[in-house]
Amino acid sequence: MSEDTISLDAIQVWLQNALISPGSTSCQEIEKHLRPSAQLKAAQRLGIYQRSYYLRLLQCMREQFPALCHALGDQLFTDFAREYLQAYPSESYTLYELGRRFPQYLEQTRPDKDGLQQARESWVDFMIDLARFERQLFVLFDAPGHEGKLLADRTVPDHVLQLQPCFALADYRFPVASYYQQVRKGNNPAFPPEGHSMVAMARKNYLTRILLLTPTQHAFLTLLQQGHEIAYALELMALQLTLTVEYVYESWTAPDGIRKRWIDAGVFIHKGICGPESIV
Amino acid sequence: MPHSNLGLGLGLRNCHFNHILSAWPAVDWFEAISENFMDSGGWPRHVIRQVAEHYPLALHGVSLSIGSTEPLNFDYLKKLKNLATEVQAAWISDHLCWTGVQGINSHDLLPLPLTEQSLKHVAGRVAQVQDFLGRELVLENPSTYITFTQSTLSEPDFLRELCKQTGCQLLLDVNNVYVSAFNSGTDAIDYIEQFPCEYVIQMHLAGHQHCGTHIIDTHDRTVRTAVWELFRLAWLRTGGVASLLEWDGNIPPFEQCHAEILKAKDYMLGEFDPANVAISSETEKETISNPVGFLVPGVMDRTQAEGA
Ligand SMILES: [Fe+2]
Repeated sequence: MSEDTISLDAIQVWLQNALISPGSTSCQEIEKHLRPSAQLKAAQRLGIYQRSYYLRLLQCMREQFPALCHALGDQLFTDFAREYLQAYPSESYTLYELGRRFPQYLEQTRPDKDGLQQARESWVDFMIDLARFERQLFVLFDAPGHEGKLLADRTVPDHVLQLQPCFALADYRFPVASYYQQVRKGNNPAFPPEGHSMVAMARKNYLTRILLLTPTQHAFLTLLQQGHEIAYALELMALQLTLTVEYVYESWTAPDGIRKRWIDAGVFIHKGICGPESIV
Repeated sequence: MPHSNLGLGLGLRNCHFNHILSAWPAVDWFEAISENFMDSGGWPRHVIRQVAEHYPLALHGVSLSIGSTEPLNFDYLKKLKNLATEVQAAWISDHLCWTGVQGINSHDLLPLPLTEQSLKHVAGRVAQVQDFLGRELVLENPSTYITFTQSTLSEPDFLRELCKQTGCQLLLDVNNVYVSAFNSGTDAIDYIEQFPCEYVIQMHLAGHQHCGTHIIDTHDRTVRTAVWELFRLAWLRTGGVASLLEWDGNIPPFEQCHAEILKAKDYMLGEFDPANVAISSETEKETISNPVGFLVPGVMDRTQAEGA
């Protein structure tokens, strides 16, 4: 196709490919499309866009995964993130989505993925879980929440307690939440030993609270997330733990029990009631 | 529709949110990056609502991609329209650029070959966008680092024709004029003299980085004197319009940004002397161009751990 007739579409496809895969074009092709300046050749001018394309997106990835970046060190994080951006360029008008597929990408491309499950390297599991955790926090930060409306207080009876909309449950193979908190405080935490950790995350007054859970608490909240009522979930817990329902109910409602703690943390709303003011 | 001169404003940035919401500084107006708020159901949305109640606010986009050959994203436009209604945006601006094709967003403001073909393409899309939004679009001259061999029109001529055909309006980024003129070896003063200033309703100012062979639009420092001098000329030619400082990297405290844009007052009067728009000879190592209004939402600051 001659220079005069090349379509706008073709030139845009060419330029975009040249940004994402700088090797996809040649000096000859660059000179066909772009003029040199007094100081720079056409390819050097294009190079400004090529460099800033990755630098800008990598900076954004560091901001979305600060603890993972800390754990891997800047160089290794940058290597992984750059490969990720090459494999999954942004498909959204918003940079908020940039890191969406990163945890999944790390899982798919783990260096030991073809090995036996037992032979897998645990640091890789840690990185993947930390990425999942940071992505989850990022989503909760900006998801529609319950601010401006009533959260449940301690007087609300169980049968009308409902999980609030800006809430997530997760379990990890490592204590990623405490690692994250250490990085947040500016410490330099060591690679943590393997250890199952379960967390609930709920946003109240634009602050995402991270609640560490026992396996029973996690199972209980999972039942609520599936739409079951609290009374049913307590019964099922009692059955599974071979405890009496009365005992489980007492520990649920104890003065310093989880009911009080979770209500205070903003885990629940009052089903069907959304007042104009939030209870802080 | 004529727009009022909103005065001297600042780009709304995450690191200033707490200061603004507690001190309510006496700044004339704010400009918010649309994409940082349009999907938000959290803290950023809360902040922009509060800001909109206290200050005039304009929305400035970076992903409209008006020049792309990809179909317009009406889901994006719908969210933009909703946000504009919610915050009573004084106007909605974006750039004369494209950000991606084939479903990809480069998150860069990529230039177009300035041809009759591009003009026809962009004019058609501006008309569609304006129809959908029910208001005029405001388009900004981008900072550019390349020039297409295909280009047959100057940017001022391209924009003048676009305004004539579509009724859209313009945001003149004076720093971008300086940056692009240096990078393409053209004359910044000449650019302003050729620019269709009658369509300009807003100006941008920002700092840049001089790398010797080229200039990068970094938005990470104070405005260069030469750019202020160009602003003096642009102020004369536009008759004075709402002006705003963009600061996106190494952002100092709010009051320092505010003091920087208030310097504009010193350049609203007095004679323009072309000799003051000199090319500086300083050189620095290149950093990232920063046209996008960086996303630093401070997620870490908004989390709190509680014991099991
Ligand atoms: Fe600008």
